Amino acid sequence: MKKFFSLSLIMILILSMLAGCSTVESAGKANDDNTLVIWTFFGDVKLMAKKFEEKYPNDHVIVKVFPGDQYKTKLQTALQAGGDDAPDIFDLERSYMGKFINSDFPVNLTKIGGEELVKGYVPYVQELGRDKDGDLMAVADTSSPGGFWCKKANAKKWLGTDDPEKISKMVESWDKIIKLGEKINKKSHGKVHLISHFGDVYNVEAYHLQPFVKDKTLQIDDGWKKAYKIQKEIFQNDVGAHLEFMSAGWNNALNEGNVILTAMPAWASFMIDNEDGKAENKYAVAKTPKGLYFGGTYRAINRASDKKKLAYKFLKFVTSKEWQQFNLEKTGNAPALKSVYKDNFDSYTSPLTGHLKILKQYYDLVEDVPAQKAGKYSEDLLGTWRIVAGQGIKDDKDFNDVVTQFKKKVRILYPEIKVK
Amino acid sequence: MKTALDRSRFGFYFVTPFFIIFLIFGLAPILYSLYLSFTSWDGFTDPVFVGFANYKRLLGDTLFFKSILNTMIIWIFSIVPQLILALVLAIILNEKFLRGKNFFRAVYYFPNIVTPVTLGVLFSLMFDWQTGSVNHLLVSLGIIDQPIYWLNSPWLSRIIVATVIMWQYFGFNMLVFIAGLQSIPQELYEAAEVDGANRLQVIFKIMLPLLRPVLLFTMITSIIGGLQLFDAPLMIGDGPENSTMTMVMYLYETAFKNFNYGYSAAIAYAIFIIILIFSIVSLKSQARKKD
Repeated sequence: MKKFFSLSLIMILILSMLAGCSTVESAGKANDDNTLVIWTFFGDVKLMAKKFEEKYPNDHVIVKVFPGDQYKTKLQTALQAGGDDAPDIFDLERSYMGKFINSDFPVNLTKIGGEELVKGYVPYVQELGRDKDGDLMAVADTSSPGGFWCKKANAKKWLGTDDPEKISKMVESWDKIIKLGEKINKKSHGKVHLISHFGDVYNVEAYHLQPFVKDKTLQIDDGWKKAYKIQKEIFQNDVGAHLEFMSAGWNNALNEGNVILTAMPAWASFMIDNEDGKAENKYAVAKTPKGLYFGGTYRAINRASDKKKLAYKFLKFVTSKEWQQFNLEKTGNAPALKSVYKDNFDSYTSPLTGHLKILKQYYDLVEDVPAQKAGKYSEDLLGTWRIVAGQGIKDDKDFNDVVTQFKKKVRILYPEIKVK
Repeated sequence: MKTALDRSRFGFYFVTPFFIIFLIFGLAPILYSLYLSFTSWDGFTDPVFVGFANYKRLLGDTLFFKSILNTMIIWIFSIVPQLILALVLAIILNEKFLRGKNFFRAVYYFPNIVTPVTLGVLFSLMFDWQTGSVNHLLVSLGIIDQPIYWLNSPWLSRIIVATVIMWQYFGFNMLVFIAGLQSIPQELYEAAEVDGANRLQVIFKIMLPLLRPVLLFTMITSIIGGLQLFDAPLMIGDGPENSTMTMVMYLYETAFKNFNYGYSAAIAYAIFIIILIFSIVSLKSQARKKD
């Protein structure tokens, strides 16, 4: 009996030690040739997989969702380690995709005829998926247009109209925004602001200026000086409500209306409280002074995958008109194909904006965004600039001081970049 | 007949799993990190040996030195009020006449069971410039006219982070102090009473001197914990001019935001050396005081 207990104890200890070393099959991955494994941070990919399986009943897709900030580290480790645990397709977010698509991990789609996938795509969407040599490494199934969201009643009260076209005209330049903002600030005794934050200028201008790194050398586009001046004016004249993008106050203002125009991506409409349909038909979307987009989800094929053909078939499906039309109708995610935009100009409406046909505005905005590659450093350096310049504005620093501070930080964080 | 050595074999069997697990999950990553600290590695290509380049870079890295300074400032701002508060509460809650003291001991310990991430989020919402409850309260009480932009000031940001840490750990230290106070022989209090000592004299002549080993224990544990500050400040952010970026936050950002694993391994070893120095100093001072 004693022996039996000690043996059982030893078995339990050994089994619990080995539990972490489960096989791939037990982790949910089937090994047959028709099963694809996708890693993502975005839950909606399950819908995509379901529709793919409906179209191709013999194929099967396993979607593993890893929400949160740790996804990219997990993905990098899995791709490095290789083997059966690595996914066949992996999703990448705009903020770090530049590093992955410029590595050896993804399949070069251009070399396997992938250019056909992005034919007819919004230019900025397809360019972001290219590596430094211009080869296509990843594709998106959506574009991520942003615009000025406003409560119709609020716009009517303070701007005299809730017509998106008229509002767009009123805010077509930063100079107009500053003048209008000052007027509203005065009229409301500082209680109502035209925009949320001077950071809106950064969000709009960032992708219209040259990337910070060219040939491994730091370059600062002259446009940043102009943008900095505008941001300072907005801050000092209380045109913005000093509410940082996606902060608690920003969300309150979006729902309560003490900010008239909130620069926000289409995909962030979940931030509007629409419980029991109370926000339906209450909002309008106007154009920002220049084309605007926020984020983006891209999909690449793992170079080590032995199911590249099936993976390509999946990418072909998600870049198709069929899926993007369905996705637009079902989730409201803006398409990446220009033809899907155009086909829906006169028909597509969303519950929050009621009868308004918002796709034409979004189309104009995404078409206005310059096509730029994701780049290995672009998002990191934009983030660093945003912090340094933001602090400079609050501390009323001169632009040259901000540049000095920025260069100092780049030298510390990225010694491999040449800073003149 | 079995010898003592034969019998002791079973002891080795029992401790073997620990050592196997430690070798795989403890020692191996430690040694691998040491190797990585001599390489340049972004996780996308193979590591390239660069010798002492990462350590050389570290010596000129002003942001790293700033993160050390931030950590020290936050640690001092949290440990001093934390220990004073814990000690005062321990003395009060150790009084015999106090009713319901077990209830208060439990209540003061509660913050310690909340995760630091939650506390970080909670405090960042409380001290939000426009929507934070602290500003709302101060404005409604008429103490301030305009909301204070707490997290835009380097010193206020550090104080807020220190407050989070203080609030989380004062209950734990209070319990440690109560345990220390309860180990003081009752006869000493009685003798003091007979000698006519007042309450303050009892505190300063009996309680505090006999509590010294416990105080040193809390100091050492708080040094190690304080120098590893990470989760709560991470939730509050880097702060203006990186004023709340601690050493471990810098390590995390270098590794997992900038994908610079080689350099972050060097930072990890630098942090290890700093903690080691502080721990040795504490232990030495403890030994000296014992002598």
